[in-house]
Amino acid sequence: MHQSTKTAWVGNHRPLVTAFGISLALSALLPASAFGQSDTPDFTSGLLALEGEQSEIPEVLTTTRLRQSKLRVPGTTTIITGDMIRDLGIMTLVEALRLVPGMVVGHWGSTNPVATYHGTSQYEQRRLQVQIDGRTAYRISLADVDWLSMPVALENIERIEVSRGPNSAAYGINAFLGSINIITRSPQDTAGVEAYTSVGSRGHLRTFTSVGDTDADKSWRLSYEKRKSNGFDSQIDGGQEIPFHDGHEINNFNLDSVFRIDRQHSIDVRAGVLDGVNEEDLEKSGKLGATTNPDIIMDDYYLHVRFDGATSPDHFYHIQASYQNQRQRQRWTVSAPAAEINALLPTGLPPFPEDQGPFIADLNEDLEETRQEIEFQDTVIFSDQFKLVSGVGYRKDSFNSETFFNGKGDNYQSRIFANAEYSPFRWLTFNAGGNWEQTTTTDEDYFSPRAAANFILNNNHALRFVFSRAVRTPDAFEQNPDWSYTPTNVQPPFEALDGQRIKVEDILDPTTSTYGQELEEEWITSREISYFGQFHLERALLSVEVRYFNDDFHDMISGVINEEEWYIANNVDLEQEGVELETSLEFSGTKLRATYAYLEQEGQYTGDPAALPVDKQERAVDLLARLSARDSGSFAWIQDLPMGFMTSAAMYWTNEVRDTRFERADFRLSRRVDKTDYSYMLALTIQHYLNPKPWISPDNRIEDQNQFFVEAGIRF
Amino acid sequence: MERRSGTIHQERANSGTRSLFPRALWVLLLTLVSAFAHGQESPARSVYFAGSGNAPLDQHLVQLLKGELEPAISLIEVSEDQLATLDSGPIITVGPAAFSRARQANRSAHILAMLVDKSFISGFAERSPGQITGVLYDVPLIRQALTGKAILPQATKIALLATADSVELYEPLIDELPAYGMSARIFLVDSNDKLIPTLVRALGYGDFLLAAPDSAIYNPRTIKHILLTAYRRNQIVIGPTQAYVKAGSLASSYAPFPEMVELANDFLERFFESGQFPEPSYPEHFRVEVNAQVARSLNIPLPSREDIATRVDRQLTVNGEVSDE
Repeated sequence: MHQSTKTAWVGNHRPLVTAFGISLALSALLPASAFGQSDTPDFTSGLLALEGEQSEIPEVLTTTRLRQSKLRVPGTTTIITGDMIRDLGIMTLVEALRLVPGMVVGHWGSTNPVATYHGTSQYEQRRLQVQIDGRTAYRISLADVDWLSMPVALENIERIEVSRGPNSAAYGINAFLGSINIITRSPQDTAGVEAYTSVGSRGHLRTFTSVGDTDADKSWRLSYEKRKSNGFDSQIDGGQEIPFHDGHEINNFNLDSVFRIDRQHSIDVRAGVLDGVNEEDLEKSGKLGATTNPDIIMDDYYLHVRFDGATSPDHFYHIQASYQNQRQRQRWTVSAPAAEINALLPTGLPPFPEDQGPFIADLNEDLEETRQEIEFQDTVIFSDQFKLVSGVGYRKDSFNSETFFNGKGDNYQSRIFANAEYSPFRWLTFNAGGNWEQTTTTDEDYFSPRAAANFILNNNHALRFVFSRAVRTPDAFEQNPDWSYTPTNVQPPFEALDGQRIKVEDILDPTTSTYGQELEEEWITSREISYFGQFHLERALLSVEVRYFNDDFHDMISGVINEEEWYIANNVDLEQEGVELETSLEFSGTKLRATYAYLEQEGQYTGDPAALPVDKQERAVDLLARLSARDSGSFAWIQDLPMGFMTSAAMYWTNEVRDTRFERADFRLSRRVDKTDYSYMLALTIQHYLNPKPWISPDNRIEDQNQFFVEAGIRF
Repeated sequence: MERRSGTIHQERANSGTRSLFPRALWVLLLTLVSAFAHGQESPARSVYFAGSGNAPLDQHLVQLLKGELEPAISLIEVSEDQLATLDSGPIITVGPAAFSRARQANRSAHILAMLVDKSFISGFAERSPGQITGVLYDVPLIRQALTGKAILPQATKIALLATADSVELYEPLIDELPAYGMSARIFLVDSNDKLIPTLVRALGYGDFLLAAPDSAIYNPRTIKHILLTAYRRNQIVIGPTQAYVKAGSLASSYAPFPEMVELANDFLERFFESGQFPEPSYPEHFRVEVNAQVARSLNIPLPSREDIATRVDRQLTVNGEVSDE
């Protein structure tokens, strides 16, 4: 066949070549064909099935780790395709999450993106598991999700799967509210050269180039992305508009490759390097009397290797190992009155003179974090009725910082997970799964279970009943910060302090400080009833998914952690209830999609009443509702037009967070031209902010309600 | 009583002896005539069968053909060596290779080619009208396109991959599609290593990929990569044949073997009446093969096979049967 195909490319004697080619194709394929003529749907194994690779076809992978259709998945999953992101003119990764019902996307501090599902987030989101191709991608020791430094380019995204609802049964501790898996395009599908650029308002610039190749044995792709933005236009300080130093500039290199060893074994190797600067404004984010901007300089890299194997079409497994290193360098200069420094000195030490100027020195929050992770996963398809996935994982999180954790340290996690899917009848599927995990952050072990029953009607409708419990343990910083600053470059007359540790616990308000107290795990018990249905209309496809949920949260860790105040404890219980809708309608040339989410949240302080004054108790409760929106939704309309033109319109709203509402309408006009050897695309996007009031923080100011972006891309 | 009866016996015996000979002669004559007549008919109504070499396939076809042809026409299986010794046929060949062998062995033979594509046989049929015909095995592309539309009713744009040599395969389709509210674009694959880059561009254009029986692009070596790339992009692949559906293509129309055999029988009857074969043609009825597992994986609600076939037939009837069918 190989020979005939090669000849056919260059041959001019088409009939003969075709004859030969067809005859060989027939001889290879017709045994199935000869017996495939019966009316019974006799499933003779095809090329894919023979190799156990029906599983390579994308199904919902994230929820249970089994590849399942949405009818059989034990929970609600939103899938955002890379094409949808691009067609709607979405400019940054985090903004794509506005398409997920129940998600709130915003910015905190000096324009650091945050995305939460059902709130419960103060600023940093510690309760979502984020993965890129199965590799954990949230920050290692701070457990936060840093969307700015996410090492993935929009162009490389195949799709994003968001499992809404606790998913610790599959992914462990951080998948407390849900999990996000960013699945990148296989290098097998991106052979060729691609270049893209977009420029726009507020200094937006994104360039992407990728080159790759594929053959029967190996595929690879090397891509480079630069993303740059000036951030918001200005901030408010003392009622005055002042410049905001909150932009970023990031360079991201990724190598993705697949080596096929034989028909049943392959190795994926992925590596990446990311560097850049995340500007932090001294007025907004400066600490301890900062006089310079405490910009964060990022320097990250990762290596991810995965071995896939199959012993038969019904038994496959993978082993994956990854090594990630995230290094941030954040340094700034401070100036503090000598009297304040003297007040911090231990009794007995002579005070510094207070008439020779302020204390001036450099401080840093430099931090290097390393994550080493290894996982083995095994899937057995006993029959179409019974499937089992199980596995073990081990993770070592290391940190090294002069400021945090007082030097070096490690945390270890081990886990075992499994999920069984059992379908005794065509109309009924049960899923049962769980994750047992042991972590050194609390020196305890935990089990997060999930059970679900899906009633499937007509092969196109499913009614699901899901029960799950999940746990989140405090991250290393919450549990054991050992936080201090070590001044350098200390100006006279304070030289004696150069290199001395100034412990944060000595600066904290002692009346409320819980610094050093041990934290326990948080628990969520979640109940879901959801419906997923597809309607095959005469001229259209309609898909509807509705989710009702009722979640109880116990022992939630809330409070404030900064260098002035530190009061966190397992002190809040919450109850959340709501309904979410996701629907899409596709007919000729038109795609419509709408989402809506309604959330009710009620919290109460359950901590020691004597530990905090009433206002701080209320604040602890409020903080967990800080990014919880009662109503939110999106609407998208993508329309194909003649001559390769396409328009899209999208509307996003979130109502409301911290007395602010997000309302934006995006419009995009693009044209795609397919030439013989290449295709190119040009587009103009307008983002119109319907509500001029800054979103989430009064400092997030955008002067022009209309933001413009121009895009150009070419693919060979 | 006894005598009489004896006499009577004798008479009977006598009369029997006298009439037996001519009767026997008649019987012999009739038998000979009948045998002669039968002998005359038998060589006139036999058909040679040159198989593809794929034993299960050949046996399956032989069985179906015998069921349809016999006893009026007898089917004689011949090996490749015997092809050159045959008289003018007719010969039923299976697949393009068997056809080519039969054609090369005996250029004057009447050949009915089965399991051949229109693009393959039509040139031979035009050069030797009445002598060469075929029961077309490929499916008219407009039917395949409508099969895709029956599954994805919202689809309007079809992506097509072709080489410079196979681009003509799709030209009739491109002309026909606007009548059905669809359009298609051909993405030319310049060389082997441009297949996937071109496919990626094609998937960016179309609502689905329509595969024609073009072995330069769709063959057992490439199909897996094509299917997986398409499915990872959440795009379906229709065609090119039923066998590819088993391999993982979502759906394909196909001509059922009994339909093809019935058409072959019609062709042979017309040949025996007139000494000439009619032009190659497609069977009248098609069925649809679907891969339900792939549909489930891609979250595509799939109408029943009968529904899809009915929708396709209705569309074709409403818009009139098209030229290439």
